[in-house]
Amino acid sequence: MKLLKLYKSPEIFKIALIIAIVVVGYIASVFYGQMKNLDSSVELITNSTKTQLELEKILSIITMYESNLRGYYITKDEAYLKDRFLRRGEIDENIKKIKILVANNPSLIEDVDLLNTLVDRRFNLFRETLLMAKSNKADTATFNAKIKQSSEFTMAMKDFVYKTINTEGAKIKAHNLNHQFDLRDSIISAFLLVLLSLLILLLSFNKINVDVIELKKTNDELQFLYLSFNKAEKIAGFGHWKVNTVTGVYTFSDNFYRLFGVEPNAFEPTFDNVAKFIHPDDLDYVIKSHKGSLISHDSTVITYRIILDNGETRYIDSVGSFTQNSKGEVVKTGVSHDLTEVYKKTLKLEENNFELKSINEELESFNNIVSHDLQEPLRKIQMFISRIVDTNNETISEQGKIYLSKIRISANKMQSLLIDLVDYSRAIKGDKEVKQIINLNDVVNQVLEDLSSNIEEEKAVITAGVLPEINGVSFQIEQLLVNLIVNALKYSKDDIPPEISINREDIGPDEVFEGKLILDHDYYKIVIKDNGIGFKQEYAEKIFVLFQRLETDSKYSGTGVGLAICKKIVDSHKGYIKAQSEPNIGTTFSIFLPKVV
Amino acid sequence: MISHNDSMHILIADDDEDDRTFFSEAMMELKMNNKLTLFNDGKDLMDYLSCPDIVMPHILFLDLNMPYMSGFECLKEIRADDRFKDVSIAIYSTSSSEKDIEDTFVEGANIYIKKPNDFSNLKKVIKEVVNINWQFHSSGLNKETFFFSI
Repeated sequence: MKLLKLYKSPEIFKIALIIAIVVVGYIASVFYGQMKNLDSSVELITNSTKTQLELEKILSIITMYESNLRGYYITKDEAYLKDRFLRRGEIDENIKKIKILVANNPSLIEDVDLLNTLVDRRFNLFRETLLMAKSNKADTATFNAKIKQSSEFTMAMKDFVYKTINTEGAKIKAHNLNHQFDLRDSIISAFLLVLLSLLILLLSFNKINVDVIELKKTNDELQFLYLSFNKAEKIAGFGHWKVNTVTGVYTFSDNFYRLFGVEPNAFEPTFDNVAKFIHPDDLDYVIKSHKGSLISHDSTVITYRIILDNGETRYIDSVGSFTQNSKGEVVKTGVSHDLTEVYKKTLKLEENNFELKSINEELESFNNIVSHDLQEPLRKIQMFISRIVDTNNETISEQGKIYLSKIRISANKMQSLLIDLVDYSRAIKGDKEVKQIINLNDVVNQVLEDLSSNIEEEKAVITAGVLPEINGVSFQIEQLLVNLIVNALKYSKDDIPPEISINREDIGPDEVFEGKLILDHDYYKIVIKDNGIGFKQEYAEKIFVLFQRLETDSKYSGTGVGLAICKKIVDSHKGYIKAQSEPNIGTTFSIFLPKVV
Repeated sequence: MISHNDSMHILIADDDEDDRTFFSEAMMELKMNNKLTLFNDGKDLMDYLSCPDIVMPHILFLDLNMPYMSGFECLKEIRADDRFKDVSIAIYSTSSSEKDIEDTFVEGANIYIKKPNDFSNLKKVIKEVVNINWQFHSSGLNKETFFFSI
């Protein structure tokens, strides 16, 4: 695995190349050494062959002199002594040549010197023998002895010379043999090294090949990526650009040109060419931001208008930041986006928002009218009725009194309706109120205190368990509980006093509201249960609709707003409310409020 | 120190003629021997109060919603003037909005009365308010006791 990794790395190239160069260099140097050795041994062989030749020449001259001398002695023919007999010159020439040839060999120099003295002595012997032969004084026996002595000396000299030649020959032979071994070794090692280098080169070549294939693959992928990126830019309405802060060269993507309503590469990628499109009012700001950033290297977010050739104004949002390229030069890269559609939509939204706001304000003033201006005349009517009843009680007929009472009941009903409507509209606006942590037990206590007279009147028994803390708008939660308790008091049975309980319950695993599962982890469940007249379960959702009433009997003085307010309040607290009821048994309201995070 | 005698000077500023009539009739029926002065609007009231030689009122009933100068503006001006520091101010309004109650409380009104819709209730309110021990009421004043409930 590690090896494979090494093989894949580009370092392997350099290593292989270095090894190959070292090996080839080594081979070259070894061969150079071998060649040099060969050269010197060839020279050595030539030298020694020449030396042998010269030595043999000397011997042959001496042998010739000896046979001539013998010839003369036998025939006494002077012709044998002709032809420069016993001249040293030729032999001296030979010895001189040998001395040059053996100049590098000290042991041979000694031998040559010895040879020279031997030759001297031989010549002396020659002369003595010649003198003896010429004088004829000596007897045959003495002469023969002299001849024999000469001949033996010659033999000894020959022996010496051959010994020298042989020694030299053996040396050369050994040298030659060694040299041959060396040569064979170096050829084998060179062959192996060449094979090794070849292997390394082959591996490297394979590696290069694989790399090239991978490079091509990567290149193809890059090409594809570039194409899809281009396409994506076109679809998304994005364009990108680069500027090298060192060279000042700009690069624009194809779609960057399209943002300006022109074909790709329609103009030279320079800042000035882009600036021509920028709205004159925005140009200073764009130049300041962009050019400034090229010095400070701070990211930029610029929104500006451009004017296309057809006169159309578009909104461009341009974001730029700085990175370093492979050369370490700082490059600003940016993405520009055509915001026009978004901008137009935002404008439209703002307009709608403004309209909604003014409608809301109108509703608010309408609310004020309902809460104040409509109540004013109503209160007057009530006041005047009470004045008539108080002051003219004796003079009014019984029928008139009944009518007046009916007027009063209607006026009272209208008043509570107005109050409910104001409360309802306040509940609608509820999600704008500031929420805070509220202890529900505190709220219940407050509500029970506020409603104490009603509770007393109905002889109701109200119990509350331990309730949690929730995040809510205090007055709304209060209103919610007031409405539910008032409801329970109002729709109670005539014969038995109302019993109302307020408790927290755990949420079961299958608690569902309008198809949505409600988890105990997220919500508190508050249950308000009464023993009132109840209603058919099929109306359980209808009761929360504005102005929907189930009881039309005049003894139940509802406006049809109370529970609608409850629903609004629970909605604005991101909770749920539902009712479970059975006629003559009672009603259970379940409120789910988000837990405090 | 204002004592609860029969010669209390009571002012009411209300642009509604009927309400002024109800108020004076209620006072009459209660047989209170107090001096009652009526004003048609806030400006009327302030013109009167700016006179240097007036009999200093003990209680001022102030409607909020009035033309020319609202009850709220009157309240601010009166409370800014040290001359009237002993005058008890009762807001007397149809509105019972949290905002109005809160604002007038902050600006130094002593009690907030929602106009009743029954004459006998009106009489009860006037009787109780006139007989309040103001010093005691004001010392323990908070938002709960500020809003008068019958």
